[in-house]
Amino acid sequence: MTTEKLRRRVFVKTGGLALLSLGLDPIFLTRAAYAVRRSGATGTRTKTLVCVFQRGAVDGLNMIVPHGERRYYDERPRIAVPPPGHAGGALDLDGMFGLHPALAPLLPLYHAGTLALVHAVGSPDATRSHFDAQDYMESGTPGRKTTQDGWLNRQLAHAADHGTTPFRGVAIGPHLPRALRGAAPALAIDNLQNFGMPGRGALRERITSAFEEMYGGTSSGLVASSAGEAFDAARRLEAAHPERVRPANGAAYPSSPFGRAMRQIAQLIRSDLGLEIAFTDVGGWDTHVNQGAGEGQLAGRLADFGRALAAFATDLGERLADVTILTMSEFGRTVAENGASGTDHGHATAMMVMGGSTRGGRVYGRWPTLDPARRFKGRDLAVTTDFRDLFAEVLVRHLGSTDLGAVFPGYQTNAARWLDLMPA
Amino acid sequence: MRRHYAAAVLLTLAGATPAAGQGQPAHRHVVWSRADVVHLLNRTAYGPRPGDVERVLILGLDGYLDAQLHPNRLADSDANLYLRRLHVLEMSTADLRETYQAGVRARRERQRRGAGDSAATRPEVPEMRPTGMRRYLAEFQQAALARAILSKRQLYEVLVDFWTNHFNVFVLKGPVRFLMPSYIEDVIRRHALGSFEDLLIATAQSPAMLVYLDNAQSVAPNAEPPQLERMRRRAERMTPRRAAQRARLDSAMRRLELRMPRGINENYARELLELHTLGVDGGYTQDDVMHVARILTGWGVQQRPGTVRFVFNDWAHDRGEKLVLGHVFPPGRGEREGLELLRMLARHPSTMRFVSTKLCRRFVADDPPAACIDTAVQAWVGSGGDIGEVIRAILTSPSFWAPEYRTNKVKTPLEFVASAARVTGSVPDTTLALVRVVARLGQPLFQESAPTGYPDRRESWVNAGALLQRFHVALAIAGGRAPGLQAPREPPLGSAGTADEILAGVRHVFFHDVAGAATLQSIRNQISDLPDPRARRTLAMGMAIGSPEFQRR
Repeated sequence: MTTEKLRRRVFVKTGGLALLSLGLDPIFLTRAAYAVRRSGATGTRTKTLVCVFQRGAVDGLNMIVPHGERRYYDERPRIAVPPPGHAGGALDLDGMFGLHPALAPLLPLYHAGTLALVHAVGSPDATRSHFDAQDYMESGTPGRKTTQDGWLNRQLAHAADHGTTPFRGVAIGPHLPRALRGAAPALAIDNLQNFGMPGRGALRERITSAFEEMYGGTSSGLVASSAGEAFDAARRLEAAHPERVRPANGAAYPSSPFGRAMRQIAQLIRSDLGLEIAFTDVGGWDTHVNQGAGEGQLAGRLADFGRALAAFATDLGERLADVTILTMSEFGRTVAENGASGTDHGHATAMMVMGGSTRGGRVYGRWPTLDPARRFKGRDLAVTTDFRDLFAEVLVRHLGSTDLGAVFPGYQTNAARWLDLMPA
Repeated sequence: MRRHYAAAVLLTLAGATPAAGQGQPAHRHVVWSRADVVHLLNRTAYGPRPGDVERVLILGLDGYLDAQLHPNRLADSDANLYLRRLHVLEMSTADLRETYQAGVRARRERQRRGAGDSAATRPEVPEMRPTGMRRYLAEFQQAALARAILSKRQLYEVLVDFWTNHFNVFVLKGPVRFLMPSYIEDVIRRHALGSFEDLLIATAQSPAMLVYLDNAQSVAPNAEPPQLERMRRRAERMTPRRAAQRARLDSAMRRLELRMPRGINENYARELLELHTLGVDGGYTQDDVMHVARILTGWGVQQRPGTVRFVFNDWAHDRGEKLVLGHVFPPGRGEREGLELLRMLARHPSTMRFVSTKLCRRFVADDPPAACIDTAVQAWVGSGGDIGEVIRAILTSPSFWAPEYRTNKVKTPLEFVASAARVTGSVPDTTLALVRVVARLGQPLFQESAPTGYPDRRESWVNAGALLQRFHVALAIAGGRAPGLQAPREPPLGSAGTADEILAGVRHVFFHDVAGAATLQSIRNQISDLPDPRARRTLAMGMAIGSPEFQRR
């Protein structure tokens, strides 16, 4: 397209600053540059990272239970998950830790060496605000609010030479999450079934070209570049029909929003649309009140979580070797239960890494113990693994990321601090 | 006007540069154009309805603002007539609570019988034909939409939306389901154009906020409710012969002990400082948060059949001395401590700046110019926090009228749907389907779970997926078959048949004869080979509503 060429030439000749004065924003410029580089459909298998954000701060201590430590039971008389072997007890992993019983569907994956668990992981920032902490975990720059883009988008931007399709970065949900916002194009897809231009057949073609002409004209900025991505994505999706891919190997997803999200991510992967980074989130973890122990509120949320992740692994089958699932949450919860049989905002939590070449079957991370003297501010589980070290290892060892400085600006990650949960 | 010049002088003296408005005389509205009116209606209303531009052009800026800033003087029969059919607005909170509890009992019964369900709190697209509490929630969402589309008090409705998000509560958090209607009607709507201080205090004492951010669960360490004390005394007086009675009392006491809140919950205190008043960089510490939480212990909700209201529980109140932002709160003054705290926060310079910045973001630009914020803060100082005066200052500031900030805001899904309905003269039908349309576009009303409320920046609303959804809605509205909208009695383009007629109609109806040149050219190219005039009109209107210009305001 000539306008595209023109824009690129102007961009190359004058740089971003000159165009800023004409009212074109930098995000648009970078996106225009991507549009030029974009090649055809990939049709080949790509390595995929699936990020799952447990919004609301999951209670890591009841998700991955330190049943071997007496203090856990002292601090949580009403809500501790009973030790293995008791009714509603934890599912023992290594004599020290156990899975919450509602996560039983994940136990076979752990024993098969597909699922690794990381405890006492979190942010170096002390905030107990959900919004700040989520923001930091998604921007990848804890303590710095001015970062405009997300770490997953920067990964997409820096790995752009992998060949581009509009499906490199996809969030399942109504909004593009902070982690995927930025210069590299990314899609928010609420429902694959309804994604695309209106109409059918020839009418749809007609409508698509009409809108394409309208947006390809002199209009510019974020709206126009997003529209360009929309047309491209719609055409490719129409050709690939991922929504027709049925769960394989008898995988049974729960009918919850999270189950539907994981099912759609599997459909995108199995359709070979070039998905590199998928993101979805799942809520309901902010258990201030009546959180329950082996059963109850948190158990209900974890049951849905575990069933969906297990179904995803089953569905992908051998394809799981190309896919790593990384779960995260903004922080953990207080070691002690509160007066409402719940837990308040804490510090470190637990995360999961599954699939790919993960060396599973182990609980990783240095355990700081629940000794009040070793806790963060005397109150919360201390962070012994900076979340950026975990994310960095996964990026490098699963996606082959080579420029961590760009993905986590201002942070010197160091392979010596990595957990080695994937082979180098 | 005089106030405005005074503010400008003050700013100049303070060394601030009103850069945004250079060359824009402050009395610009004396000579004003159609483009000015379109800009004003895009920002202070959910876009123009047919005839609005002409009406406001004659009214003048001062006339328009005087009317819009005194919404009670404006008759609002269209909206009121529509709202009459929504039962939820006639129900008391106590009635809604009954409905909610009946639903909870029914669900527990189902669970007891083994039909397990793990209710997620993630917002979902509402059902087609909801019943019970869900029906009332959908009706309440519909009320917000109907007001945005039909009300004559447009600036007021825009501000209601602003404060609803500033003081966000999440409707799907348990009891908030039945507390939300009175929260919006009696707190947000009552004070949206009043004093910020009153609004802040009303939100702090609203059962919805107290439940949503858990302050109702926050009690002084070791505090015990009086019932427990009474039970204990009764147990002591009991003679050993009454063993069975004693056992029953003990078990009731244990149940109460398990249920009763213990200790401080900082949630509301933190969001009060971070999101409602000072802003995250407003200069407070974690200690301040803790002391604010202690001051507000005892602020709770009384719930019994027939009554749901704010209550101050003296037994739960922390009786120690507190220190917030260097200000000492002497011990033992109960509820008054909280009121004093809220007044202090409402008048704090950080609050003025933080809230003014957000207002300028809503009315001027995602990254509002400093001059706009300074103007708003000056008006805040001058009026003692009168929201109407702050709004008037923003809307008459050079920044608001500066060319570089026009059409630079991207419409939220609510703004997109409401403005598309308004520009075509469509009205909501008798179903609740329009609620689902806005939800699918990414903004299920009252269902943002984070206390930040829905974002007011374009990155949050512009992405490929969201645009595709907007194109669907645009073509549905153009074809007169949008779910939840009644097609207008007079079609927007009338019986225009030739490309020229249609183009002239689109230019006038959708672009108010002031914009859209490139889009109009595309529309001409696309419709000229269509033989059927109806298909031409539909495609032309669909393109207009789906156009880049119409996504912005």
